[in-house]
Amino acid sequence: MAAAADSSGDGGTSSGEKTIVLVSSDNSARFEVREAAALLSQTVRRMIDEAGADASGDGITLPDVDAKTLAKVLEYCNKHAPASSSSSAAEAAPPAEGEEDLERFDREFVRVDMGTLYSLVTAASYLKIEGLLNLTCQTIADMIKGKTPEQIRKTLGITSEFTPEEEDEVRRENAWAF
Amino acid sequence: MSEDPAGSRRWRCDLGGDERWLSGAAGDDHFDRLPDALLLVIFNRIGDVKALGRCSLVSRRFHELVPLVDSVLVRVDCVIPDEPPSSSSSPSTPSSPTASVRARGVFSQIARIVLGGIVKPIQALGQILSPANSASGFPASSASLPSSSSSSSSPLPPGDVSHHSPSEVLRSFKELRHLRIELPAGELGMDDGVMLKWKADFGSTLGSCVILGASSASASPSSAGSDSASTAPSGDGGRTEPDECDDSGSIPESFYTNGGFKLRVVWTISSLIAAAARHYLLQPIIADHRMLESLDLTDADGQGVLTMDKCQLQELRVKPVSTSRDSHRTLMPELSMWLWYAPCIELPGGLVLNGATLVAIKPSEEGTGETVWNGAAGAAWVLDAFEEPYRTAVRMLLKRRTYSLEMNSF
Repeated sequence: MAAAADSSGDGGTSSGEKTIVLVSSDNSARFEVREAAALLSQTVRRMIDEAGADASGDGITLPDVDAKTLAKVLEYCNKHAPASSSSSAAEAAPPAEGEEDLERFDREFVRVDMGTLYSLVTAASYLKIEGLLNLTCQTIADMIKGKTPEQIRKTLGITSEFTPEEEDEVRRENAWAF
Repeated sequence: MSEDPAGSRRWRCDLGGDERWLSGAAGDDHFDRLPDALLLVIFNRIGDVKALGRCSLVSRRFHELVPLVDSVLVRVDCVIPDEPPSSSSSPSTPSSPTASVRARGVFSQIARIVLGGIVKPIQALGQILSPANSASGFPASSASLPSSSSSSSSPLPPGDVSHHSPSEVLRSFKELRHLRIELPAGELGMDDGVMLKWKADFGSTLGSCVILGASSASASPSSAGSDSASTAPSGDGGRTEPDECDDSGSIPESFYTNGGFKLRVVWTISSLIAAAARHYLLQPIIADHRMLESLDLTDADGQGVLTMDKCQLQELRVKPVSTSRDSHRTLMPELSMWLWYAPCIELPGGLVLNGATLVAIKPSEEGTGETVWNGAAGAAWVLDAFEEPYRTAVRMLLKRRTYSLEMNSF
């Protein structure tokens, strides 16, 4: 089950496992991560496939993800990465950590301010990391459930542009929801 | 693009001035950064239709996006009858089998499902579900009847209640693909201890139905139980005489004389009627939502599940539904049924089912036993009907002797 260090990766951990360098949008930060972790992102996977073997030379730049968000995203990926980094097994292999441990991690992971949460959900969507997207979207969905419209606006930081008349009408349309 | 100034401003705002947000510049609104598609993914995870309704009020953008949600869960608050039942409540008709089963919601009479804030919860209506004459024509079973056999619901003060049908609530969701409706309770009120679960799928008519029942279900103190205990009392029909367990897996003779068999037929018919009534109720919703790909109608008790998949929904749009002469449920075609019985089985997790019975039902026109059981799906449609631990119960029961029955259309 150990990763086969078959291709000419630019770096490697001491165990010889292949790593990938990811660069934030403003070029301010470079992160070296295990291939298994990086490949949780379908976008990264595609970029590697398209660029070929020499892609890992300079690292892969992610134009839409800033440094702070990328650091946080990689925290998730490192935790959820499968033990094996062979690319075909990466999707099917279970993560190295236990279920409960991961659930606890996830719960803590999304305890962030709204700005960070939005950045995470946007990054997860761009990077196509299914687990992170599900987690962040569900978190926001859970924040919405059970709240009144005013509470939802306050929590998510939204302004309503409804005029009072419009609001009355919509409220009537959806009377069953209250 | 490292530190986001708007983010920190937002944090300070949350502590105090909401007013700043109401007049805040659009650039501060992080939420605006989320594309519509992503917002829809979030809305699709909300599920609960009331929460979505409230979302419509949040902002113009939400109001536009909410109707595009493709996956919704409607939790029905209560069920009311359309009109009070008349003579069908009388259990004394000699020719129709009397159920030992009390129906909580009067599904043969119900034409409307209600949402909304109800001031006084609807009491159990105590309506006897008397199945229409089936071919079996069994005499009334000896099981006890509930005393509150007349329909007496607490009257609803007219002004306090708002009724909204699921059709109304779902009207704006034109893109609905996946719909789940959850009733507040199972329709079939059981005598103490009786366990009954059913799962049915329908197209224009019944596709298949699997029923799992037990005269009692309890936690086992011992872990020494095997799946065919030889001296376990069965408690069928309230009797205490033990059923001998035939090692061949056959049903013991006493089963036919102590009311056990009749009881199971009643369970079967009641479950089918409940399923047929649910199916009937779904017609307007299915007609309104042409993009529906899956539909599930469950209840909070976990008693009955009605499902329809994409093909079945399509079939229903093309082939009209036949209703029974009761006119509040779909007609059942001629049915082939297979039954398995075990006096006592113990499931992983310690649940013990006494008088466990499995019934698998398909319309007769689907073919004979050979075609049904040896086809590509095999017994999967029965095995997959229920979640654990009941799935194991089904597996155990399938090893017993198979009994087949036929039932006329009803």
